[in-house]
Amino acid sequence: MDGKQALDFGASSDFPSLLRLQGLLAPAAQIGPMNARGEIVPTESTTILAFKFSDGVLVAGDRRATSGNTVVYDRADKVLEIDQRSIMAIAGVPATAWEMARVLEHSFQFFRRTQLQEMSVDGKVRALSKLLRDNFGFALQGVGIVVPIFATYDVKASPSGRLYFYDAMGAQFEATDFAATGSGSPAVRGILYYENTWGKNPLQKISEDEAVVVALRALDTASEADTATGGIDRHAKIFPIMKIVAADGIRTLPEEKIAELFQKRVA
Amino acid sequence: MIEEPYRWVEAIATRRDYIEMQLATGSPVVALGYDEGILLLTVGQQKLFEIYDRIALGAIGHPGDIERLRMAAIELASTEGFTRSAADVSLRRLAYYSLSPVMKNAFEQIYGAPFLARLLFVEIGTSPAEDLFLEVEYDGAINLRSSDGGNRPFAVLAATKKSAKEMAEFLSKRFQSAKDLPATLDLALDAWTVGQLRTDEAMTGDDEIRRQRSERLGSGTISAAVLKRNTNRAVRYRAVEASDLAPLIAK
Repeated sequence: MDGKQALDFGASSDFPSLLRLQGLLAPAAQIGPMNARGEIVPTESTTILAFKFSDGVLVAGDRRATSGNTVVYDRADKVLEIDQRSIMAIAGVPATAWEMARVLEHSFQFFRRTQLQEMSVDGKVRALSKLLRDNFGFALQGVGIVVPIFATYDVKASPSGRLYFYDAMGAQFEATDFAATGSGSPAVRGILYYENTWGKNPLQKISEDEAVVVALRALDTASEADTATGGIDRHAKIFPIMKIVAADGIRTLPEEKIAELFQKRVA
Repeated sequence: MIEEPYRWVEAIATRRDYIEMQLATGSPVVALGYDEGILLLTVGQQKLFEIYDRIALGAIGHPGDIERLRMAAIELASTEGFTRSAADVSLRRLAYYSLSPVMKNAFEQIYGAPFLARLLFVEIGTSPAEDLFLEVEYDGAINLRSSDGGNRPFAVLAATKKSAKEMAEFLSKRFQSAKDLPATLDLALDAWTVGQLRTDEAMTGDDEIRRQRSERLGSGTISAAVLKRNTNRAVRYRAVEASDLAPLIAK
């Protein structure tokens, strides 16, 4: 903590700039040489999904982390709480993604503390977009692509659950009903589209238990064809991470509950 | 140029008088332990702030200077919390290593402007014995108030030394541990009133305090915030709701 340096800042800019000023965060990556093959390497090996249901937004992610064909870790947490009402789910290079989540979490807090008001939902959505944009040089070089989903709850909007997905350049898209990203996402998108359109009820009308079942089935299907998606580990009893963002904040679904619904309705 | 040492000492003394005069009309801040954590209360302009997960600030002084110091404290704590962890953010280090040297320097550089501010930082620990009340003066002096193992968990920030002393004496007599929030708000506002009295009497009676309290409160807005000890969230700071403050005005 170097007091003098900090005091010279005067009225402060945003948190990432503060970190860059002190050399604690890499500068926005310049668009440099491409990787040898001259293409973006999509290392987003995972499956993340989110959809709106009757109470709010459910965000789910499998637990597998891979490096090429090797499974590195089978208990990764890719669904991260950023603040009381915001969840960021990550597909992509873990080092970059977790760092981004950390910067984002601190940015929102820093904004509230310095500006004495909560950052608006639009501001939060944009902040993530900016981080992705700053990272695009690395993504192009094939070393740091991140494609996240951002879910939050906006009391002023209707429906209050808000869901966004991004591309690697930082473009943000608001999803009406559902979003999925990562290598296993094509299958998941198919399932969610089917459920939403021809299921018994549209996704926004289903209960929490139903939502968990849909998410479990979708991740199980994704892992059927995509080796980079862990799905449900039946032997080691490793279940996906699921979080719900609703009016009263964020809730992590207990593993027992997921396991029980899995036994009854999925297995 | 001030080349002779005694001139410098003289200039510093003048500067001290000037700052004390500038601060003399400030509205006191009271920090008081209660059953769920620590309460901070003041009346008038906004001057209770969240610094980090477990740290809050109350201040007296020029809004511009308070703002600069507040920003510096938030920036220092946030960078520390980001690069290491929230557990590594320490009020003691923030005050001793970062704020105090800069404030002392500004105060003694007699061609530059000093900070017209007096700060009270509060850090909530896992138990009342670990709570910290730390005052930083405009000249960088630090007054670390021990909560005496949790037995005297309170501190005040007042415009003058005399009112600070009177408020502390009042609280020493009246403070009872583990009271609920309404009772603590009430006591804090009484202590604030004691800090506002310009009387030479040693201690005013209860009726007089009550009368003065409603008189001095006038149209001023009470602002209060708490640091909660046991909560499942990392951030302990909460502003006290207006509905909790309403009963105080009626009395």
